[in-house]
Parts: sequence; C-alpha cells; structure tokens
Amino acid sequence: MSSIADSRQERDYWRTLDELANTPECREIMKREFPEGADSPPQDFSRRRFLQLMGASIAMTGLSGCKWPKETIVPYANRPEGMVPGVPEEFASTFELGGVANGILVKSYDGRPVKIEGNPLHPASLGATGLFAQASLLDLYDPDRSRSLVRRTAGQEVLPDWDEFRSFIRTRTADLWEEGGEGLAILTEASSSPSLADMRSRFTRTYPNAGWYEYEPLSGDNARDGARIAYGTPHRVIPDYDKADVVAAIDDDFLGSGPTALKNARDFFGRRDPDNGEMNRLFVVENGITGTGSVADHRTPLRQSDIWQFTLALAAALRTNGIAIPEGIRPDGGHYPQDLVKALAADLAHHKGRSIVTTGPRQPAALHALVHLINNALGNNGKTIRLVQDVDRDRESHGDSISALATDMGAGRVSTLVILGGNPAYDAPADLDFKAKLEKVGETIHLSLHRNETSRICSWHLPRAHYLESWGDARSWDGTWSTAQPLIAPLYGGKSAIEVLALVIGEEPADGHSIVRRTLADSFGNSLDFEKKWRKAIHDGVVGGSEFPSIQADLITPAVVAAVSRKVVDSHDGLDLVFCADSTVYDGRYANNGWLQETPDHLTKLTWDNAALIAPATAEELGVTTEDLVKLKHQGKEIELPVYVMPGQPKGSIGVWLGYGRTAAGHVGDGVGSNTYTLRTSDHLWVAAADISKMGGRYKLATTQSHYLIDDIGRKGRADRLSSLVREATLAEYEHDPRHAVHKQHIPPLTQLFKELSYDGHAWGMSIDLAKCNGCNACVVACQSENNISVVGKDEVRRGREMAWLRIDRYFSGDANEPEVLNQPVTCQQCENAPCEQVCPVGATQHSTEGLNDMTYNRCIGTRYCSNNCPYKVRRFNFFNNQKHLSETEKMVYNPDVTPRARGVMEKCTFCVQRIQAVKIVKKNNKQAIQDGDITSACAQACPSRAIEFGDLTDKGSRVAKSHANVRSYYMLEELNVRPRNAFLARIKNPNSALGTESTNGHSHS
Amino acid sequence: MGIATASQVEPDPIRGEPLVQGGHDFASVTDAVCGVIEAKRPPLIWFISIAISSIMTLVLFAMIVYLFWTGIGVWGVNVPVGWGFAIVNFVFWVGIGHAGTLISAILFLFRQQWRTAINRFAEAMTIFAVICALVFPGIHVGRVWFAWWMFPIPYQQGVWPQFRSPLLWDVFAVGTYFMVSSIFWYMGMIPDLATIRDRATGTTRRFVYGLLSLGWRGSNRQWHRYERAYLLLAALATPLVLSVHSVVSFDFAVSQVPGWHTTILPPYFVAGAIFSGFAMVVFLAVPARQLYGLKSIITMRHIESMNKIMLATGSMVGYAYAIEFFMAWYSGNIYEQFTFQNRAFGEYWWAYWTMASCNVIVPQIYWFKKARRSLVVTMIVAFLINVGMWFERFVIVVTSLSRDFLPSSWGFYWPTWVDILTFAGTFGLFFTLFLLFLRFLPMVAMAELKNVMPAAHPVHHLSGEKEGH
Repeated sequence: MSSIADSRQERDYWRTLDELANTPECREIMKREFPEGADSPPQDFSRRRFLQLMGASIAMTGLSGCKWPKETIVPYANRPEGMVPGVPEEFASTFELGGVANGILVKSYDGRPVKIEGNPLHPASLGATGLFAQASLLDLYDPDRSRSLVRRTAGQEVLPDWDEFRSFIRTRTADLWEEGGEGLAILTEASSSPSLADMRSRFTRTYPNAGWYEYEPLSGDNARDGARIAYGTPHRVIPDYDKADVVAAIDDDFLGSGPTALKNARDFFGRRDPDNGEMNRLFVVENGITGTGSVADHRTPLRQSDIWQFTLALAAALRTNGIAIPEGIRPDGGHYPQDLVKALAADLAHHKGRSIVTTGPRQPAALHALVHLINNALGNNGKTIRLVQDVDRDRESHGDSISALATDMGAGRVSTLVILGGNPAYDAPADLDFKAKLEKVGETIHLSLHRNETSRICSWHLPRAHYLESWGDARSWDGTWSTAQPLIAPLYGGKSAIEVLALVIGEEPADGHSIVRRTLADSFGNSLDFEKKWRKAIHDGVVGGSEFPSIQADLITPAVVAAVSRKVVDSHDGLDLVFCADSTVYDGRYANNGWLQETPDHLTKLTWDNAALIAPATAEELGVTTEDLVKLKHQGKEIELPVYVMPGQPKGSIGVWLGYGRTAAGHVGDGVGSNTYTLRTSDHLWVAAADISKMGGRYKLATTQSHYLIDDIGRKGRADRLSSLVREATLAEYEHDPRHAVHKQHIPPLTQLFKELSYDGHAWGMSIDLAKCNGCNACVVACQSENNISVVGKDEVRRGREMAWLRIDRYFSGDANEPEVLNQPVTCQQCENAPCEQVCPVGATQHSTEGLNDMTYNRCIGTRYCSNNCPYKVRRFNFFNNQKHLSETEKMVYNPDVTPRARGVMEKCTFCVQRIQAVKIVKKNNKQAIQDGDITSACAQACPSRAIEFGDLTDKGSRVAKSHANVRSYYMLEELNVRPRNAFLARIKNPNSALGTESTNGHSHS
Repeated sequence: MGIATASQVEPDPIRGEPLVQGGHDFASVTDAVCGVIEAKRPPLIWFISIAISSIMTLVLFAMIVYLFWTGIGVWGVNVPVGWGFAIVNFVFWVGIGHAGTLISAILFLFRQQWRTAINRFAEAMTIFAVICALVFPGIHVGRVWFAWWMFPIPYQQGVWPQFRSPLLWDVFAVGTYFMVSSIFWYMGMIPDLATIRDRATGTTRRFVYGLLSLGWRGSNRQWHRYERAYLLLAALATPLVLSVHSVVSFDFAVSQVPGWHTTILPPYFVAGAIFSGFAMVVFLAVPARQLYGLKSIITMRHIESMNKIMLATGSMVGYAYAIEFFMAWYSGNIYEQFTFQNRAFGEYWWAYWTMASCNVIVPQIYWFKKARRSLVVTMIVAFLINVGMWFERFVIVVTSLSRDFLPSSWGFYWPTWVDILTFAGTFGLFFTLFLLFLRFLPMVAMAELKNVMPAAHPVHHLSGEKEGH
C-alpha cells in the first residue's frame, strides 16, 4: 500500500500569533486588502491554520447569495417573490460526468445548496439521480479544495491573485499569438458543453496552430470507434429498454453506469413487473460482476477472449436462426456455454425488433461494430434503439488524444499547456510517462478543484469553481441542451473552464454567465423573446426540443465483417487484468469525498480500499484468500493489492478498480488503496494480461457485510434462511401460483398481547420491489445527504460502526463461481410492535400517531439495548462525537431540517420524517389534503428504477398501499410478529425454459 | 497471636466436625478476630497486595475518565454487538455478589450454622462485587451525564422511565439488592463493632468504632431487637437472592435475540450466580485464613461444604447448557438452532468450550472427598470456575448478538485495550475494598460464631450445632 506519510503536506508549527502574522502567506494576504483570495489562503495551510486566519471570512462567504439574478450583500429590502427565509427553494442545474449531462434540482436553504435531486423535466434523469450526482454536493464544501492560485517557479511557490495570472497569460499568449499559437495546447476533460465548444472555436480562430486535446480515463470511446466502423461516423446509440422483450448485455453494466444508466434503469425495470405487461428477459455475460449482472435472468462470467468468441458464436447462431448475419462471422475456439448461445440466439430471433444487444466500454471497437450489425440484422434499429449524432464527431478518441499530446510534449512541441480539469499526472496511461513529460513543458497551467497530483507539478495552479458555483451548460447523451446555474458564489474565488479559456483567449466578456447566455443566444438565433426563452431554459434546466434528431444510418456491413475477421482479442495464458471504474470513487476524482469512500461497493461491500477481485476457483488455485496480499505484474510494472474473493468473477480474471492510491487528493482520499493506473497502458486500457504472485503479508479490508468466505456453520446458517429473507420465484412459478414466492415460508397465525394499534390519520409505509433493485447505491447516498449521516472512516467501518441508515444487503446463492445475486435494500422497517421501543429504559424511541417509530435524540442515553433487540439491525450508534472534526465548510452541507446527532446517541432511518412534516405544514396551511406522491423519502426519490415506494397506507389508492396489497408482497422476519411497515415485493425472474428452469432460491448455499 | 493450629481431629461421622476447632473459648475467638484489626501493622503481604490493587483501581478510574472524555467507541462494541465487556463484567460481578446474601440469609433461615464463620466475609465480598458490578451500568451508556434518567425522579421535564424495559427492572433489582445487602451486612456487624470499640485504645479509634456501633451496649433488650430484626432482614433478603439475578437475566430473556430469548435463563442465571459466588468466597477465604491464622475458625468443614455447593450448582449449570441445546433443537426455530450451533462451533467456539469445561467438567472432581478437602485443588477449581463463569456471560452476550437474524448484519466483536484494562481495574477496586475490609472490620462474625460454640450451650455442650440459640 502506498504510504500516506510521504504525501502529507509539511506541517507548520507556530508559537505566537506574532510569528504567525509574520509568515509570508499572511503578509501576502494582508497586503491585498480584499482580494478574491480573502477567503482563500493557499491550500498548503492546514485546516486548523486556515480557520485561525480566516474564521470570520468563511462566515461571510457562507452568507453570500447566489449570482442569480445579482449578488446581494445586504438583507433584502424587498423580499423576492416566493422567497421565504428558512424555506428551501429548488433550482434546476446540470451535473456533467464524463462528458454527459444529467439534469438535477438543487435544494437550497437561504443561498446554501444542501441536497441534489433529479430533474423530472430532464430526459436523462426523469427525476432520478445516481450516487455521483448526489455526492458531488459534498465536494463543494470539501475543506481540502484549493483556495488560491499557486505559482511554482524554481522550486518556490507564491500565491498570486487572478490579476497576476491575467497579466501572466497576456504576456505569454502575446508571444504565442505571433506563431498562431504554435506550442500552445489545451487539454480538457470530456465535455459536451456547447459553451466550451463555442469557446474552443473562438480559441482555434485566435490560435489556429494550437493543439486541443481531450482525455477521460474512463472513456466510452470504444463504443464510438465501433460506431465509426459500423456507420462511418461515430453515432450514438439511445436504447429504449421499455420496448425490449429480450436484452443481451455483453459485458455492459447498462443499468448502473454509462451515459444513459438512469433512463435505462427506469425503462428496463418498468418491464420487471409480472403484472405489468410481458416481462423482459436479461442475459448477461461479463468479465467481472456488476449490478446489471446481479439482476440478470441468466448471467455467465466469461473472460475477455471468451466474450469475443461468445459474441461471434451468437452472431453465427443467429444466422442459423434465419437472421441476416454475413457468412464470414464465426467463432474460433473459446470457452462459453453452447446452450446459452443457442437459447439466446433463439430468443433474440424470436423477438426481432423487440430486443436489444448491448456491449460496454471494456469491449473492443470491433465488438461494438458487431453488436451494431446484430442489432441491425434483428431489426432493432429504429425500434428499440435509436441512433443520434455525436456531440463532436471529429474528435480523436481519448486514448489517441492523450498519446498524441504526450508525444508532442516529449518532442518539445508544447511550450504552454493549459489543462482544464482532470488529473492526467495521476490517471494518464502509465506507458506515456505523462508526469515526467509534463514537468518538462515550459509553462503548465492546471485548473482544478483540488491541488491534485497534476497541479503539484504544474507551474500554475488555478482554483476551479465547483459546478454548483458556476454558470455552465452541457448536453445529455441524447443531445438535450442542459443549463447549469450557480447556487452559491464561488467559495474560494474559483473560475470555471470557460472563464479560464476566455482569459487565455483574452476576450471579453469573460464571465460564465455572459458566455453561457451568448452561446444559447447564438443557438436560438436573433430571437426577440430570447430573454423569456433564456429564463425558461434556466428555470427548467433544459432547453425544450434540443435533443438530437434520430438518424437513419446504413450499416457498412463489409467494414464490420472486415473488422471482426481480424484477430481482435487474443487468448493468452496469463490472467485477465480487468480495469473497472470504481463504483464509488469513479476514476479517482471522488477520492476525497467521504460519502463515496464510505459507500460500500454493492457487490463486495468494500469501503475505503480497492482490492484484486478473484473468483473462488482461481483463489483456490493460487492458494490465496481474502485479505492476502498479491503482486500484480503487467509490462514490467507491478503493484501490491489485497485479494478479495468475489463469487461471480470469471475464472482466470482479476478485477481491479481504478481511482485509488491518490497522493494529493486531500485528507480523506490520500493513501486510500493502491493506484492501479500504474498498470494501465495505452494499448491495454481496459483488459491486460497480468501475472499474479502471492506475497507474504495480509492486509485488512473494511467491509460492511461479511464476505463470501466465512466459517462453515455461518455459511450454512446464512443459506438456510436466505429463501425466507429474500423471496423470489420464476415467472413460470408465479403464473402457476402468484403466491409461490411468498409461500416459501409458512407463518403461523400471529396474535399479540399488546393492544392493536389503529390509525385514523396517516400511516406512513414503504415498499421495496426486489425485482427492481440493481444495487446502484443512489438511495444510500441520497439518504446520507438528506439525513446528515456521518462518515466514520475505515477503522470504524472495520469495527462495524458504519452509520448508513439505509443499506443494501447482498447475498449469493448457488454455485460460488456462477452465483445468483440477491439485493435487498434495508431501511428501518418501522415495526408496529417495535422491539426497540419495548426495551428502551427511558422511552427515547416511541411510536408516533402516524405509525412511525420515532427516535428522540434528546432523550436517548445510549444504552444500545434497542439496537441489540432490533432484528433488522438498522439502528446506528454514535460511538464518538462524529461532528467534532468537521470544518465549518463541511457543516454547510448539513440539511438544516435534520439534527446532527450527538455522541452517545442512537439513530436510525426516520422515513424522512422532516419531509413528511414539511408537506403536512404546507398542506395544513393551505387547507388541502395530502395526495399520494406529495411526500417521498429521499431514497424513493433518488431511485432510478422506482423500486422504492413511499406513502400513506390508510389511503387505499396510494401506490404504497397497492404495493402492500400486491400478491408478491411479504414482510421480512414476519414470524417475529414485529409487524413491519415496509413490505418487500418478491423478485420474479424470467429465465429461458431452454436453459433449465431450476427453481429459484430453493436449494441455495452461499 | 498464639492460636493453636487446627488439629486434624477425626470427625465423628454422626455429629460431624465441630464448627470451631482448636479449643477456642469466647475470649480467644474475640482475640483472634479483633487481633487482626488491632495489630500495629498488617502483614507485609497486605501492603504489597493493596499497593497492586490500588494501582489497578487507579487504572480503572483512568479508563473511566478516558471513556467519558472520548465516547463509548473506545470500547470494542459495535453494531450488532451493542453490549460487550461492560455487560459481561456487570453480570459476572453481580453473579459473584450472590454468595454473600445466600450465605447470610438463606442459610441463616435454614439454620445452617456452619455459615457463621464465613458469612461476614461473604457478605463483604458481595457488597464489593456489587459495587464493581454497579460501575458498569453507569458507565456503559452513551451519555453518562444523563444516566440518571433511568431513575424515576420527578423533575421539571415530567418524563418517567419506560417501565416495560428490563433494563429499568435491572436498576431496581440491583439497587435493592445492594441496599438490602449493605444494611444486612452492616447490621450484623454492629455487635462486633461494639466489641472493637470496647477494646479500642486510641481516641480516634474509639470514636470511629463508637460511631459505627450505634450505641450498642449488648443489653438483653438490644439483643432481642437485634435478633428479630436480623431474622426479618434475612427473610427480606432471601427472595432477593433469587430475584436479582432473575431480573438480570430478564435483560436477555425478555429481548428477542436468539440465544437470549429463553425461559430457562432466570433459574440458570441464579444457579450460575451462586456457583460463581461460592467460588469467589472460597478463593478469598483460603488465603485469608492462612494469612490471619484463622484456620480453626474457617475450617476445612466450611470449605468442603462450599465445594459441595459448587458441585451441585455446577451440575445445574451444566444441565442448563444441555437443555438449551435440546430446546433449540426441539423448538424447530432455525434461528435458535443456529445460535447454539454457532456458540459451540462458530467463530467463538473457544469461548464456549472454555466455559463448558471450566463450569461443568472441572467441578466434577468434587465427587471425591480428597479433592473437596484439598486446598490446592480448591484454589485451582475456584479460579477456573470464575474464569468459566466469566466466559459464560461472554458467550451469552457476545456470541448471541454477533450473529442474530440477518446474515447481512452479522459482525464480530473483539475487545480493545480499554475494555481489558477496565475489567482488570474492577479487580483492583474489588481487592482494594476487600483488603481495607480485612484491615478495619471484623472479618468473622464473632457474636454469631460464639453462638454456635459449645460454650454457648452449657447443657448440650457435646452437641453444639444441633440447636441455634
């Protein structure tokens, strides 16, 4: 493991205030009377020191309003319409990740954003959010964010202000301008921002000879290249899973990641209800294990070379089923289940025009092209999938672009490099030696939220404005123009990428608001009612009707056949080393985000680390087990990683997550895990052949759920109760007897001594449809954000003290190497006969008149008896003062409607009681009745697949009451007579009868 | 002190051994017992012992301060194992505190006269053990500064405790037990304190013991009142012996955690408590009688009787262990079945087998008279029983919680250094109090002992133990 010590900033000690005041930094700050950096001393300051110097100014920043419509520094003389102090407002904005926009609504209290929700008007969000969008809020308040510009010259660091940078860039570019920008280069992250594109064209006009590069470590460019093979231009695919009866995902986690994941989940899971039309069927083959695999009707783990052969075989089998696949396409060896190919091909052929074959970013371009060919042949194009244009059809792929830049840098052709975001010194392919080359470039300017690995070796570091602090825009995958507005003035005087680009070009206006407005105005043409349209676009967060039109494109069959006939994926004797996007820290950019670091990966339940995921069979062969250290070797580079034995990982394949081992992420992310980018080379961005060898030692991993390998007694005990905890049935069983799954456990009649409770007002309830959960963790982070849940760190997680109110239980059943995965989100079940209430000696937990199991923090003395007696173990205890080490900015993320819990106090899911009360108050004031849907819990609101329903059980027409009445509904541990308020709906699977209809969950042994 | 060593008189098989040996008369008993208190300086070993034990007591206080300062997180507890060492130790110490009242109250009512030599001793041990026990419920809550909310105190908030909670019953049960035991102990000591007062030479000594003896003059009327009151208190304390550990067991039995939720727990806990209590009494009595030369007062007969009780209660506990397995199997409840399999063969198997061998197998040696009368065997067995009984509580509290209903939430508990030092510290507190008791209070109930001596019954001077008084 990489050491933390070497990355830590040097610690400064000071003895007297005079000494402190005499430091150059302080004099520097005092010299500038009220510069932008008044609230932003350099990042080298420790948090404590920063507060010592600047405590007061933070409070001032906190109070400043957002930039819209204008900044106000005095209390409102006239209150803006609709603005009530203390009552939150929601603003539409845009969250962009990997160049794809997602619409969000940001809840803001008196100018302070506290929660992110999906924007129902946005086609990519449909009201849902992923975990990254939810957690990006915490980045805004990250105390480790860079707080000033940093200029490195000859080993010295000074802290200039933006004016100094402006004059620097003016002189620098004046020289370059003579040469048409020769030697000037820009490197950006993937972005679909129309404003950035506009600024780029302005830049290119000013500096025609300058270079423009784009790099994203987790790029979807294989799909782009595949489409380029198939159609000549890199068209994008927009799948409509609601129209597909059969889906074959070839190594594609389309429900959990990828540009259209939220919409995919909504569409796909809409078809997983046996009472709601024909159920779809999902086949998954994958080199790893994903959330999509966990909900598949048939899932087969395959290595990279076998996936390639499998797809060829599928194409060949489709041909025998009468589908027009060219003759040349046929498999050449490989190990994959033949019956699966046969059954899948027959199923697809039977559902022509009603199926989707999809593949993911790890698969080579040729396979993407082949999938295009298959979809085309199946007649899916125009029916279940649509093609639209790419945002920038001419750009190089990210891998080529960063290689080209590295070559140019190495050849000395770049004298000034402006890096807008990203962290290439950390995440560029290892063979490019990017870091060393970057250090040799004359002037390097890096714009970044944090002073990260790249910033530290650049000659200039510029603090970036967080997206919630700046104006912006971006396009979603289908092209919808999405607008972003600032919710708060930049906390640390940062600027956005477009603003910095305006500085580089040296043109006015240079503020984000004007740039974004100008770009939109240009696209609308000279419209008289532009102001109205602009306001509507900002209000809605989307520009209506701006999505790209569908394209009818002809597949270039010979090109695909030619691409496929090359030996695309070699089989090799070593092990597949599969690089995966981390399910929580993504490519490493969220490494300093405590919420995400502590969110357990859905399948491993691992927090705060990455590991080498190895199939049980492979682990046995290698003689290693979970927490053993191994050495992975690829192209002469090696790293050490602990093993995590992962059921469902293909044999002979090692899954490693990217995004760990950061050295300049901040206090949270530094030294967490190992940096696997050091093994990633430009010719093997996703899958490489690697050697593995066992090291001596062990490494302790922190998981929130016991891993697969436990003692025999435990394993048997777990398997024995699985069928009653997580109930499921096949569609055939369901059709034969709808109560089949529910009746897997017989429960004797339950009577009770206590008086039965009755409700004439509201009775809040929840239901969770197990058929619709792929474990994406959006609910978990949404809950964390809504309810101010503390982050406790790796050691505490290891102790079993994580604080999540909502967790996703994950079980395996069946063969350990090809297991079935069961997902079960567990909140407080709000029992009617709550065991926790009966044992609290001080009555701190009580039943409310609306049937909620309320927790009175003020009354709790912390005996922990309630937690012991809770059969669902959903209660969480504050073993320490978890608020103690929070900086002032981190506290700003807190939802003011929810009390932060003191040390020694028990806490748990409240069904978002603050949301219930807020709506009740408004409705009561307006003398209105509460309608179904007026109140949602944070988890239900975030859930992309609508697995979670929340509402009033006394309202028989409510969705939740209907769910409770559903034939599939059951209560977990019902036999304890605790009478939960949360119902689970049994999972129904729809396996292909040709593949054997083994009854689900019957004789599981996990 | 000039007391003759106990001669190994072959006991009359019909009458049993005399309760006091060595040809003591009333005066020599008083001399022997008071001599310990009146000695100019206690033996060197006393100084060494109290030095060690008071350092450990300081460690206890340091651990408590650290705990209060930082939070419950300094212990190893987690979710699902919300209770760890603190509750294990609490039940362990309360259990030890059982022998005293049993000896003083129940055996008194049953006219078991052999108790007189050890009852003071056992009662003191009880009180100190309960003090050690009471440390834990107080400090184990998350917000100690509000622990007083457990008591039904009328104050401005107008909020009462929640009377359905077994934890609250516990407060009352252990509180009552502590109070009654203390009164019983103190009341029984009054005549002896008066004796010390009367023999005292210094003024301070006379004043303090005078104050403590509450004006005892030894008049007939006082003796009459005293004996009535003692009898009444004995009758009052008797149900407490059964109730306190029954109520402690309700903390577990009333909950629904598999492995806790069983009706056998109350009798099983009481038997276990008596078992461990006697083990502790023996463990303390043997060295004390050696050290202070009281072998003729605390005789082998006493030790043998206590060893017999340990054999009986140890077998009861063993029966309870067995019946728990049977019930788990017979219930058909998979959670219950799993819990017991897991206890014996799961991750905490070592704790279970330590418990079973120390508590069930080891005491079986007492079927042999030789073993019962061997001081070495007695000391080893008593020690092992206490180890076993501590592990019994560990098994019940920790293994049941670590794997309850949902496999997703199974966890593992391991103690921190703070847990271990806190536990060690309570032994420091216990022994400090006990050593102070040995130095300043009469460790044998002289007045009572004289009652069972043949000299107290001149008519029946050959059958000193047949009648009371």
